[in-house]
Amino acid sequence: MEQAYYHDRNNTEALLFDIIRQHSTEQALTWIAQQQEKLGEPVSVQRFNLTFTAIPRFTGRQVISTDTPFIEVAPDMPFFIQGYTLDKLVRVWWLLQLPAADRELYVKVIEGLFDAADMNEQAALYSALPLLAWPDAWVFRTTEGVRSNIGPVQEAVMLHNVYPSRHLEEPAWNQLVMKAFFTDKPIHLIAGLDERANRQLAAILTDYAHERWAAGRKVHPLLWRLVGPFITEDNFADIQRVWHSEVNVERDAAALACASSTYGPAQALLAQSATLEAEVASHRLTWETVAARIA
Amino acid sequence: MERIKGMRFFDPHIHMTSRTTDDYQALADAGVVAIIEPAFWLGQPRTGVDTFRDYFNSLIGWERFRSSQFGIKHYCTIGLNSKEANNERLAEAVMEILPSFLYKEGVVGVGEIGFDDQTPAEEKYYRAQLELAKEAGLPVQIHTPHRDKKKGTQRSMDIALEHGLDPRMIIVDHNNEETVKEVLDRGFWAAFTIYPFTKMGNERMVEIVKQYGSERIMVNSAADWGISDPLAVPKTAALMHESGIDLNDIHLVTFRNAIAAFAQSGQIDEADFDTVKDIDQSLKFNGSTVLRGGQQPRIDKQSNIIR
Ligand SMILES: [Zn+2]
Repeated sequence: MEQAYYHDRNNTEALLFDIIRQHSTEQALTWIAQQQEKLGEPVSVQRFNLTFTAIPRFTGRQVISTDTPFIEVAPDMPFFIQGYTLDKLVRVWWLLQLPAADRELYVKVIEGLFDAADMNEQAALYSALPLLAWPDAWVFRTTEGVRSNIGPVQEAVMLHNVYPSRHLEEPAWNQLVMKAFFTDKPIHLIAGLDERANRQLAAILTDYAHERWAAGRKVHPLLWRLVGPFITEDNFADIQRVWHSEVNVERDAAALACASSTYGPAQALLAQSATLEAEVASHRLTWETVAARIA
Repeated sequence: MERIKGMRFFDPHIHMTSRTTDDYQALADAGVVAIIEPAFWLGQPRTGVDTFRDYFNSLIGWERFRSSQFGIKHYCTIGLNSKEANNERLAEAVMEILPSFLYKEGVVGVGEIGFDDQTPAEEKYYRAQLELAKEAGLPVQIHTPHRDKKKGTQRSMDIALEHGLDPRMIIVDHNNEETVKEVLDRGFWAAFTIYPFTKMGNERMVEIVKQYGSERIMVNSAADWGISDPLAVPKTAALMHESGIDLNDIHLVTFRNAIAAFAQSGQIDEADFDTVKDIDQSLKFNGSTVLRGGQQPRIDKQSNIIR
């Protein structure tokens, strides 16, 4: 039989609840326990939905602080909780209370939550994608999140979320990255960014850069991170242009792009600056340092 | 408007769905820090419950976000408006989905509900929604009819009391000189809609405040798809100031009273008026300054050049 969860649900639940316990008042914990009890057997869907909605009223919305920015729910699968508000964390945890054995029912209930979700509920639901059961059921929903017009919802799908890079097909993945550039998101927080880099995306982004330049606008330096591994004679002129930019951080981006390329002329270009070459080699210049500087 | 610079305003009745982003900018510039958007009739009758669902969703989703981009805290009231209560088949279906929305965050009341033509169907769904409000512990925002207003207003209040609701939980809207006295005497909140031509003008409003004072009185714009003015609240404050009305009274009728009335929902935290200015940074990644997303870039209206 196909497994509902690809992480250890009980372990994940325990990890999340530990953090919830550290940040909650006695009253909030009592309320949570009551809700768990009232959920019943078989589960009352109405109760499940109402509790999901009501959570902030009883937990409050303070930002939680943890030692690490994420919990490790499976090997190589960090679930980021940094900057979470308590209600959001409890909502994510609450989603794990829905029995998953009956796939059809499970999907119907979760989809129902999405369909009636306010802004914060949507953000919690999209952030929880990596933890939901039946992972292949949420592909379309994820693309809907990318299409959303609401900033916090877009961010919940795009940033620190391992679900899209693991489950989206290439065109949908490319849409996500493209939209992230378009809406000014901190690109370096997209999980799986380098692993899912691809030739088609590099081409889309290069076209996008041309449009920006034509309109007299700036091009996001991290865009070249996704072009670097796919430098060819077709787009090398663009890299040269960035290399000769008057803006430091853009030159740095060009250097890093060249460093990630196997294209001979790109490597030769990098070799023209001993300083940049050394900074890249010693990791004093990385995409992270570039990201930090454009903040 | 110069004389009211620095004052903060709360518009407890404005239909931003029908307005443009320019209006949000103007509201923010005029000192409006928070608003309530009541669910209403969109001008075009709806034919299915799904379009109601999408509309309610937009009030707690897209519109809330759009508002936050201008640093304005957005609340809403949810209800089946009186006009569409007359489509009973549809009304039944809407009643079924209402409860799930009433418990959403930032839903500060049931509204706007009440009478339009004063038909039996309107009465039926008005009563049913009063019961929902009572159960959810939410204030009620009552729309009073344009035609036969005085009788409609009295009837709305009678029925609310009949259902055992506390008048302090009820905001009677669209008052005028003819209705205000009874509304206040019976202990309800009296809201006035400053709306050109069809409702109140703000000179009349000044006279009302002079006569009745500021207790349990509030003003709103009810700006919608008609000829209306989203800046009615700050403009009325300015006119009151010019007319010598005490600043404290102005503060009560253009800010404090509406908050007091709707905060009975437990859903208004004034601290949020400030945090929304950082556009929900709490939802974002702690201390990560890379996030610039958020407030819309301003357009320089004085310039003819568009970038
Ligand atoms: Zn209205």
